[in-house]
Amino acid sequence: MTSPAEERTEISQRVPTGCPVIHLDASAPLEAGAHWEKANELRETSPAFFNSHAQGYWVFTRYDEVREMYQHPEIFSSESITPWEPDPVYRFVPTQIDPPDHAKYRQLISRWFAPSAVNRITPEAQEIGRRLVADLAPKGECDFVADFAMRLPTEIFLTIIGVPNSDADLFVPWVEDFFAGFGGDLEQQAAMGAALGGIRGYWEAALEDRRHDPAPREDDFVSLLLNSVVDDEPLGDALILDILTVLVLAGLDTTRGQLGYLFRHLAENPADRQRLIAEPELIPTAVEESLRMYTIIFGDGRKVAQDTEFHGCPLSKGDMVYGLVSGANRDPRVYENPDEFVVDRKANNHLGFAGGPHRCLGAHLARRVMQVAVEEWLKVIPDFTITSETPLMERGGGAMMTLLSLPLTWEAAS
Amino acid sequence: MKLTVDVSICRGHGRCYSLAEGLLSYDEDGYVTPRGEAIDVPADQVDDARNAADSCPEGAIDLLED
Repeated sequence: MTSPAEERTEISQRVPTGCPVIHLDASAPLEAGAHWEKANELRETSPAFFNSHAQGYWVFTRYDEVREMYQHPEIFSSESITPWEPDPVYRFVPTQIDPPDHAKYRQLISRWFAPSAVNRITPEAQEIGRRLVADLAPKGECDFVADFAMRLPTEIFLTIIGVPNSDADLFVPWVEDFFAGFGGDLEQQAAMGAALGGIRGYWEAALEDRRHDPAPREDDFVSLLLNSVVDDEPLGDALILDILTVLVLAGLDTTRGQLGYLFRHLAENPADRQRLIAEPELIPTAVEESLRMYTIIFGDGRKVAQDTEFHGCPLSKGDMVYGLVSGANRDPRVYENPDEFVVDRKANNHLGFAGGPHRCLGAHLARRVMQVAVEEWLKVIPDFTITSETPLMERGGGAMMTLLSLPLTWEAAS
Repeated sequence: MKLTVDVSICRGHGRCYSLAEGLLSYDEDGYVTPRGEAIDVPADQVDDARNAADSCPEGAIDLLED
């Protein structure tokens, strides 16, 4: 076996001339927007880089290449999706399962988050949105990221799963603690572990509660998993717990991140706000535009499964690649005025929900949560501004990005 | 104009049927319907068809101009 140092030499010796070498560690928090500026700069400098960070990995910066990466799981495996960690000790299901097995697990879950299911819970989602806005409105101020953007997707997620949405009181701090440690902050590792234990314990109790039911419960996802089979075998507790935990970690913090950037935009652009109030039918396209322009995925990793030549780079089995999704979504080769927020941009094929077989399973739900947030907020709080004496900061691009806080103020009705 | 969806690369993003509601719908898993057949696009829905095709992150929609 080669040591990491030898391996690094080995990969870097394959870097062809014409493929610039960078050393980029994107894990540190930066001023809000800095990651997208970096992505723009990289994309316009070169379609491909070799990044000497960690063991070294290839970076592809433009739309076509990123999409190609997503669409070819036979070359770009999801065995690892973090390029600085080619051999993770965890395995998220179905996130890290490749075709053909991937589809078996995915099918179990995807119908639960499909548009029909999202439509079914939309009236409840709107009610949750109205309640959260009504609670905040008289205060005249809040930290949007902590007080609203995390709470709304959590309550709606618990509703669609079929457990009490008041359990958001438990999940919100768990998810906060988990992501405080996930970015690599060593001081947060104990809290992160405890949060993960809390989430798993919650689902273990939910399983126990349903195990002896005479029949599956209606509109209850835990009950569905308990009664599902793959290859004629029940899933088993360990796999069910993994699936439920992954949904929590993949779905809540991400939606919070996207909502924060969308509301920062609305706070800073009164004309766009007014337009959405006057023409609420544009809210879905505005949400889509925010997913394109304010992509919380700096980049997405894959592990090379077979030796291949990819856009001039000689990839070897076991190499890691990083598709710069933030670069792709503002690629001027694909979008007119890519750095402009066009409220009614209709032609918008962004990769904010990834692509290929691992397309974000929660995409339909996430969009609806964001639409509900904008609709319900603007009805009650049409005018609001950012009050921060220091620049807003965003979490590093090693995990999903999010504003660390978004202090908003508005005139409270007396 | 005719519109076809390449079933082998559609991943159920749902962009097309949200932009071309008059032409396209979806099944219980969130995949577009109808698929696997050429759909005639009425003249007043040509823009919707173009937006649907241009918004597919997989590039799964082909338009055949008359």
